[in-house]
Amino acid sequence: MHRGVTRFAFVCLIAMQTARAQEIRVWNRIVQVHGFFTQGFVYTDQNNWLTMNTSAGSGAMTDMGLNVSSRLTEKLRVGAQVYDRNLGKLGRWHPSLDWAVVDYRFTNWLGVRGGKVKTTFGLYNDSQDLDFMHVFALLPQSVYPTDIRDTTIAHTGGDLYGEIALPRRLGDMSYTVYAGHRSDSMYSGYPYLIRQWDTYLTDMGGLQYGADLRWNLPLRGLMAGASRLNQDISAHGTFVDFFNPSNGIIPYFESSKADWSNQFFAEYRRGPFTLVTEYRRCLRDQIILNNTSEDISDVRAWYVSGTYRIGKRVSVGSYYSHYTVTETFGGALAKIAPNATDTSEPNNHIYDKVASVRFDLNRFWNLKIEGHFMDGFANTGFPAGFYPKDNANGFQRNTNALVAKTSFHF
Amino acid sequence: MRHCAQLARLVMAVGFFAASTGVHLLADDVYIVVNSTVKAESISKEELRSVFLLRTRTLRDGSVVEPVLQKSGSAHDAFLEHYLERDSAEIRTYYQGLVFTGKAEMPRQLNSDGEVIAYVARTKGAIGYVSSESSTSGVKVLKVLSSERKAERSLLTRVEAAYPEALWQRDIHGSVRLRLTIAPKGNVEEVELLGGNPILAEAAEKAVRQWIYSAWPSRTMTEVTIAL
Repeated sequence: MHRGVTRFAFVCLIAMQTARAQEIRVWNRIVQVHGFFTQGFVYTDQNNWLTMNTSAGSGAMTDMGLNVSSRLTEKLRVGAQVYDRNLGKLGRWHPSLDWAVVDYRFTNWLGVRGGKVKTTFGLYNDSQDLDFMHVFALLPQSVYPTDIRDTTIAHTGGDLYGEIALPRRLGDMSYTVYAGHRSDSMYSGYPYLIRQWDTYLTDMGGLQYGADLRWNLPLRGLMAGASRLNQDISAHGTFVDFFNPSNGIIPYFESSKADWSNQFFAEYRRGPFTLVTEYRRCLRDQIILNNTSEDISDVRAWYVSGTYRIGKRVSVGSYYSHYTVTETFGGALAKIAPNATDTSEPNNHIYDKVASVRFDLNRFWNLKIEGHFMDGFANTGFPAGFYPKDNANGFQRNTNALVAKTSFHF
Repeated sequence: MRHCAQLARLVMAVGFFAASTGVHLLADDVYIVVNSTVKAESISKEELRSVFLLRTRTLRDGSVVEPVLQKSGSAHDAFLEHYLERDSAEIRTYYQGLVFTGKAEMPRQLNSDGEVIAYVARTKGAIGYVSSESSTSGVKVLKVLSSERKAERSLLTRVEAAYPEALWQRDIHGSVRLRLTIAPKGNVEEVELLGGNPILAEAAEKAVRQWIYSAWPSRTMTEVTIAL
């Protein structure tokens, strides 16, 4: 805690100094410098949430980023951002290279960016860490689960992207096609979840490729789109073989049989109103426990949100977030673990009703207060915010949460 | 409950106060200015929007442009409202989303009309906006073409439709409504039947495909009615 406060003070000090000087000159080139810092507090009346001890109130919700970028020629741009976070038992202050790109724009309809690239997937995947961009303190966790952000956040590879103006006043379209390698932090939700089964991962990642298409329709303010993401993920580590515990600790391996996600989205902006809806389906068929078993998780999630800006300083918003997951097993595990396919059970769903208010104290600093009213806890082999390790006395069906967040950026 | 209502009223009052300050300008009160190296003489509203939302960097004439904004002021507010349909806070958030995800850089933001004029005048490809009351010496002012004004192209060559002999004998008359897509060079690229007698339409379409309009920076559409 003391370390966190020290970091907060340090970052604020740096930020205050640089807030008015976002550009510096290096070798006669302009380099832009931007950063952000976010601190949150969460209190829940029942289950502990997002690996924090929220039932007692927790401020273990901090993240920050700092980026530099420069345009080298009319069409060539480079930049990079470091990111660090602590979310309960996730992140644990281990900084990572969030993105580092070389971007060349040949023409309006074709650009290429390579390096470590934020993955364009749905409306907010690439901006989910940027608290100051959103009215909500927490984006709908059904579609943007912050505890497993690593699974979609970035890839080391390349994107092709561009804008195409459509004839006959049909609006314009933008596309992104990408491929690369995903690499998960060992301080992410999935490695944390499976530690409850004495499985300790040392690496996790693999191929990731997909596409995103979005259409700005002729009706001004309306945008719709779709994203597809395919992954081929493997993980290594050690575990206690629970089929033969006498074997002791042995090497562990798991890999994808199928892993894909589809997302469909629409946004309508009119004056101070913004309405958004997104649907995500994620199917993860993983061969686990050293090729002995199969675990198929099928997630279906959607939300509808509305926000309204009351002048320049105050915004309000609300959303309903709907998450269901089924889990079926194959192989050796099927003999001892029952399938969980009834989404009416709290074990298989989280329905979250949210109301939020955001105050922009100035151009750089905002404060948010948000209430969550959740039904269910979705406790399966697919992380969803509520972890058995943090709820040793079992789960309660309903959880209400108060989230307060403040964010500074420059 | 009473406290909640009071709080709500306070929040609304703060919001409306914050929103109600400033001088309101119209779209015509804002000039779009570019560096003299930019070849274009006009720009469509849609193209302007794409440039300032950092979706495109190249105009139809091939000029690579760099948008430059103002930090505040009535021209800034009017430009954002009429061309980008966002307010100052929204456009800042939009840019930040691109900057912090590595998808673009923050456009330059200057303090006044004078600074914009000076920057645009000396920077190759720069495009900005100023109040129409500002001096625009040293820069080029672009004409902004709205969607409606695209139909103002003048018709240079008109070919009348040949009335079908069979219909003449039966004394069949009528009118045909067509939507024309006109290429930048002025030739009619596409013809779409919107209404009227299909038999008459064939003759009308054949005629309008020979029409020639004045050249224009971009493809345009117009609707015509042909009486036969």
